[in-house]
Amino acid sequence: MNNLNPDTNREFSVVGKRIPKLDAAQKAMGRAEYIQDIKLPGMLFGKILYSKHAHADIVKIDTSKARALAGVHAVLTGEDVPKKMKMGFYKDNPPIKKGKVCSFRDEVAAVAAISPEIAKKALDLIEIEYEELPGIFDPEKAMEKDSPLVHEYHKSNVLNLPWKLHYGDVEKAEKESDFVVEEKFTTQWVTHCCLGTSGAIALFDSNDNLTIHTNTQIPSLAQKDFLESLKAMGLVNKRVRVIKPIIGGGFGSKLDTYAYEHISILLAYACRKPVKIMFDRVEEFKATSTRQPTVIYIKQGCDKNGKLTFRDMRMVLDNGAYTSWGATTPSVMMMPITSLYRVDNVRFNAKCVYTNNTYSQAMRGYGNPQATFAIESTLDMLAEKAGIGRVDIRRINRNQPGDITPQGFKITSCGISECIDEVEKEFAIDGPKEKGIGTGIASLIHVGGGARIYKSDGCGAILKMDDYGKVDIFTGGTDMGQGLDNITAQIVAEELGLYVEDINVVHTDTDVCPWDVGAHASRSTFVAGNAALGAAKKVKETILEYGSKFLDADPEDLVLRDRAIFVSGDPEKSMPIDKLLRKAHFSPQGKMLMADFFYDPDNENMGKEFKGNMSVTYAFGAHGVKVKVDEETGKVQVLDYVAAHDVGRAINPLLLEGQVYGGVVMGLGYALTEEVVTRNGQNMNANFRDYKLFTAKDAIKIKAPVVETYDEYGPFGAKGIGEPGCVPTAPAIANAIYDAVGVRIFDLPITPEKVLAALKEKKSATTEI
Amino acid sequence: MRLPRFKYLGPETLDQALDLLNTHKDDAKILAGGTDLLVRMKKGLLKPKALISLKALNELSYIKKQDGYIKIGARTPLADIIASDLIQKEARALFQACEKIGAVTIQHYRGTIGGNILQDNRCHHYNQSDFHRSGRQACHKDGGKICYAREEADRCNSTCQSDGATALMALGAGIILAQKGGKRTVDLTDFYTTDGIMPHAMESHELLKEIIIPVQGGQSAYHRLAYRSAIDYPIVCAGVFLKPSQKNEIADARIVVGAMSRSPLFLAQASSSLKGKKLNDTYAFKKAADVSMDSAATFAVHNVGATLEYRCAMVSQMVIQALEQAAAAIKA
Amino acid sequence: MTTNISFLLNGDKISYEIKDHWTLLHLLREEMGLIGTKEGCGNGECGACTVIVDKLAVNSCLYLAIDVDGASIETIEGLASTNGTLHPLQQSFVDKGGIQCGFCSPGMIMSSKALLDENPRANHEQIKHALAGNICRCTGYVQILESVEAARDKGGQNE
Repeated sequence: MNNLNPDTNREFSVVGKRIPKLDAAQKAMGRAEYIQDIKLPGMLFGKILYSKHAHADIVKIDTSKARALAGVHAVLTGEDVPKKMKMGFYKDNPPIKKGKVCSFRDEVAAVAAISPEIAKKALDLIEIEYEELPGIFDPEKAMEKDSPLVHEYHKSNVLNLPWKLHYGDVEKAEKESDFVVEEKFTTQWVTHCCLGTSGAIALFDSNDNLTIHTNTQIPSLAQKDFLESLKAMGLVNKRVRVIKPIIGGGFGSKLDTYAYEHISILLAYACRKPVKIMFDRVEEFKATSTRQPTVIYIKQGCDKNGKLTFRDMRMVLDNGAYTSWGATTPSVMMMPITSLYRVDNVRFNAKCVYTNNTYSQAMRGYGNPQATFAIESTLDMLAEKAGIGRVDIRRINRNQPGDITPQGFKITSCGISECIDEVEKEFAIDGPKEKGIGTGIASLIHVGGGARIYKSDGCGAILKMDDYGKVDIFTGGTDMGQGLDNITAQIVAEELGLYVEDINVVHTDTDVCPWDVGAHASRSTFVAGNAALGAAKKVKETILEYGSKFLDADPEDLVLRDRAIFVSGDPEKSMPIDKLLRKAHFSPQGKMLMADFFYDPDNENMGKEFKGNMSVTYAFGAHGVKVKVDEETGKVQVLDYVAAHDVGRAINPLLLEGQVYGGVVMGLGYALTEEVVTRNGQNMNANFRDYKLFTAKDAIKIKAPVVETYDEYGPFGAKGIGEPGCVPTAPAIANAIYDAVGVRIFDLPITPEKVLAALKEKKSATTEI
Repeated sequence: MRLPRFKYLGPETLDQALDLLNTHKDDAKILAGGTDLLVRMKKGLLKPKALISLKALNELSYIKKQDGYIKIGARTPLADIIASDLIQKEARALFQACEKIGAVTIQHYRGTIGGNILQDNRCHHYNQSDFHRSGRQACHKDGGKICYAREEADRCNSTCQSDGATALMALGAGIILAQKGGKRTVDLTDFYTTDGIMPHAMESHELLKEIIIPVQGGQSAYHRLAYRSAIDYPIVCAGVFLKPSQKNEIADARIVVGAMSRSPLFLAQASSSLKGKKLNDTYAFKKAADVSMDSAATFAVHNVGATLEYRCAMVSQMVIQALEQAAAAIKA
Repeated sequence: MTTNISFLLNGDKISYEIKDHWTLLHLLREEMGLIGTKEGCGNGECGACTVIVDKLAVNSCLYLAIDVDGASIETIEGLASTNGTLHPLQQSFVDKGGIQCGFCSPGMIMSSKALLDENPRANHEQIKHALAGNICRCTGYVQILESVEAARDKGGQNE
């Protein structure tokens, strides 16, 4: 990289420091208010009645008994939902269903009552007559001609989505390849398991303006969704205020608006009182969305030197009965498919298929973990076939700065090579082996500089300073526990020569916070960070202007540090910032120190061919893992883990490591233990005993070396790191298991029984020979 | 999540508790630690009108050695059992089993040994919310006539996943059931029924008072398989007891396999196959483990997550590892 | 049925009229407004509702309120001193990154406190064991375990 950020060599006083989360003390004391904790005067409690079938006609609904129950204020069914009130980008999902249910999580009625108990009792009194229809639960079967249709009006179970690309000539490249591997992989449903369950409180003022308190990662886009709902309800030209309480975990789950939010709006409007809907854990498991399950067909080839020649992938995604962002994950799967390692000829085709299962949403990594599992698993197989070391094949094909990938991604900074070095430092990947113990490696690419998924990838920030040198910054970005507050505060403090405690970050209220497209795509540090930096730079300019006047010095010579303004080279000449601010405010024709900034990165929408530089910069990483496989039980024990990430620059290493550790363990669950078990569309393990998250006792030590490549576009050189930690975990584990005992698992999660079955099969195959 | 309403009864003495039980019978449930009972009540699996709390009955919390038995009060918390030197030394399988139950905060302080061995059977299809179960025909355990775990089964196929019961059965334990004006002692092997609906033979007016483990000079071990290190119920487990003769041969053996069927399975054939074998006879262990697997497989049901095939295969693993541990303990 | 119970809550004597079917969690959160104790599952599977009753960490969602009659209860609200100084464990969780979304934190801290009160020199494995009933989705536990170890190493003192 020649074009280094001039900031690279600067000494920082706040950026790069391990500054604890600003809201951590509040949380440690139990004072943080989550949606669970909010009570409004006169508030009613809403509850939702779900379908008892995966696929059925609703013959009759009788709500009279529920309506007659004392304490019940409103009972709604699909009949009460305005026709145009539909959720999701495909607009196929009304918040309460009418006439027909297509999955077990279908909402069929809702009530508001003076207590949760009465609301529950009212639900029990609603009588519904169903006529069951044949269900379809396998996406590949749902594609067959004579399969029952999930939505008759749609004519086909296959969604009309454009996920298809072909660059170069895959067929020709395959013929010219020396080695080719072809395999099928499958991945399961997993779910976010936010410790704080979902909930919302809606209320209308006397002018029918809506305020909604809700857990969301997309305040501005949620505002738009709710406005559309109001419009559908006949409430035009009304205001929507979204207030975001402290969020008990996001991970993508709050990237769309949900039925419970729209139902709370309908109930609040019907009752003209605040209505709160709060999920219990079973509901959280059954009625929030999952990661998209996939069936993956992959073919990869290389020449005799190990250089990748082509990658050909086809996927079938179980869309479930309705459509949310899960159906757009192929747009991100394309990224590793076309751009993880150098490969010129690539083809991809994905079909999303309606079934009577639950529908999927965004989840940390957004399709990338699924695609990377297949790519990195087959890369090891290819290396073995070609007789090339597993590290070597990765080095041979590694991405490099200046590359433009087949999809048109412009690789600016790229630390994949250094990340592989870090893994090699920990483990001898291709070294000697102990029995039952193996190592695995897998790399990743992810967007690191925003992602232009919508027409805008922007984020606004408004910064104002008071008479005492303190800053309030209103950001469009969302903190859901990952620590965007800190990143914002550290960036602003650094730029203005202040301390983090001088910065108050406000991100909770659309009435005061500017617009943003949401906390997704690991974009917040990069995009919201740059927005904050932009606003700080503008205010700094004004400060320097006044400083120059008050200190009689050239603005070029002024430095902001330690809450004061100095003339460099003349330490005697200085003024505390607060004094300068008061002087600015109180002088004739005084000026307020306030600035706004809208940062929209210079990235591109992908066009029809899915070409375009989706992100300004890309994050890279490599994970290495050592596992021990018990050949008697098939149990896999993770012995050591190293997760090396190219992060541009660590604005806050403490928080960054937290993102990586958390991502890795989420990835380990994906690889080894987690699965939403279903039976004919019904979730069978809606609790923490049977849905197996890692416990503290299962925790492992993880090393998280940070590779700093100082991206020229990142705020102080930083790239995003929210998602990458969970991307290459599953293939690293699968590769390590193969290394340990010679069996490869193609189907996540890699449970002991799958490993044992594979070992048994291998044994019988060897004895037959 | 709120509990349904009930009346709380807090007897001060065992006699009062037995009186209350006698009066309320099926309408009441005994509340010890509540870690199993309250969960089932929240799920709507149980709707007792009254709970009779053992909170005040400290007389039911003890571990002592007396008259050739280790006696454990039914209300003894799991944490006390884990901390007991006596149990660690002379009933090691029970120590190992209790250690594995749930997680410290969840079970060990509140959960009691009585509660653990009386825990209801589980089944993926049955242990669901009220609402989930209301959307389909009732299964046997829910008062209906069908089984979701095994098609066309004419009876309930739930599984007893009690760690404690498996270990205690291996130790040859018995229990004392008290009722108003009397008591009876039952061997654990006779206590568990082969009925998934009512997994044990305790009458509604009876109360589990004490667990007695004969001190017979030997070593026991418990081994279980679960996917995680905590919280999980076992998907297969084994408890074994080995008594050595003076010639360092096995004079008596007991092999019990748990989490496979409606009750822990005492495997007589596998157990007796070890009699007269040397303590280091790994071949005999292997054979006993294989016999265990074959015997247990007949009763196995696919209802707790992992596949049937896998759980059956794991029976022999659990048995062999438990046997080796017990043999090693004797040698030490 | 209602009953009057008395107990110590974070050192204060409390007398409260309760219903038989209330859990301790319900009493603390819904009746007394102490929102620091969280409900993550309601079934004793996640530990978010952990409080200390007579020195033992327990899940308040599976503890009947009536059963705390005469007991001494500690909740997260009682840890910091009245002048606002955080308890050493709270401070460690803040400093070491043990808190992300924070929903599991009160329960996590209470389990840790019960452990260190009983065993001030608990080792890594003992800490993992004691926290096994407290689920966290954000941190992967690494920084949580570091937080508890740091608090242990400070020996109950803030630096």
